[in-house]
Amino acid sequence: MNKNIAEIIDALGAHEDISSIGVLEELGTNSPDNEIREYTSRALVRKNIHDSLKVVIINQGKGINDLSPSVAMSTINEILSLKDKSEVIKILDDTINMHSDETVKENARSVKSLLALS
Amino acid sequence: MANVNKVELNLSRKIVNPFKTTRKSTTNPFKFNDFEGNTLDVAICADVFEGTKGVNKLKMISSSVIGSVTKIRKSITEPIVNFANRVKDVITGAWDYAKNTNVEIAGLKNISESIHNAGKGISESISGIRQSIYDSMPPLLHKDIADIGRDILASCSSLISIHNHEKISSAMPVESLEALWKKEISLMAEQETKKIALSSDKSMKAQVA
Repeated sequence: MNKNIAEIIDALGAHEDISSIGVLEELGTNSPDNEIREYTSRALVRKNIHDSLKVVIINQGKGINDLSPSVAMSTINEILSLKDKSEVIKILDDTINMHSDETVKENARSVKSLLALS
Repeated sequence: MANVNKVELNLSRKIVNPFKTTRKSTTNPFKFNDFEGNTLDVAICADVFEGTKGVNKLKMISSSVIGSVTKIRKSITEPIVNFANRVKDVITGAWDYAKNTNVEIAGLKNISESIHNAGKGISESISGIRQSIYDSMPPLLHKDIADIGRDILASCSSLISIHNHEKISSAMPVESLEALWKKEISLMAEQETKKIALSSDKSMKAQVA
């Protein structure tokens, strides 16, 4: 992956401005490059706030629901390595209970099981 | 009182003039320069090198000239420094004045226009030369030059990216980071296009061969 893009993603991940999440979602998770999608998803998870976690959990084709197994697994690993998992568990519960797509629900359930085991 | 009389006696004594001459009726013009034995201590017109017959005369003359020059230089160094400093001060003052004063010279506009026109002429001449060289070259070479130009552009872009890379941090506004990211994406897309074009060229050449 381009080093500059990695730096930009890191900078946006560490940014306090909420609008950085929108940029990461628009340019990162929609990128055709698997590496960029993976790196962006991990940055969003590391932010550990409601809006950023929502992007990688409830959206089809992004984060844990990405079609690339490497992207999905990397995102799940990052979620498992979070110190404070309260916000993730809350979003996963909401997804399992309220999401319209069955695949997304299933993935959320799997991640929650992994969290319970970890 | 005795002392006063003594001084008066001394003053009243006739002072001997060493340059006093005695004019006599003679036809010899050099007779007027007879100082009656009262010659000067330093013989101005005497040949100073007269008694040194065994030594190189030229060498002695040159050394005396060098000595004189050194002496002159020593004597004039300080005033020259002062003069130079004064000139410098004057120039500095004039420059400051010119800088802080709006001066409008009637001919200046024309001069600047002339310079501009001259520059334009030179530029056109260079362009003409370049165009003539370009036209005289075979088409294949044109393509190579275009490729070189593209490579230079890519190198410049990467250099700019490196320069920007040093600045990337979370302290930057989100808009700037977004713009940088978009720029990187466009650069990557250009590189991809170039790669595709090169590979298609190679395949075309292979087919022709």
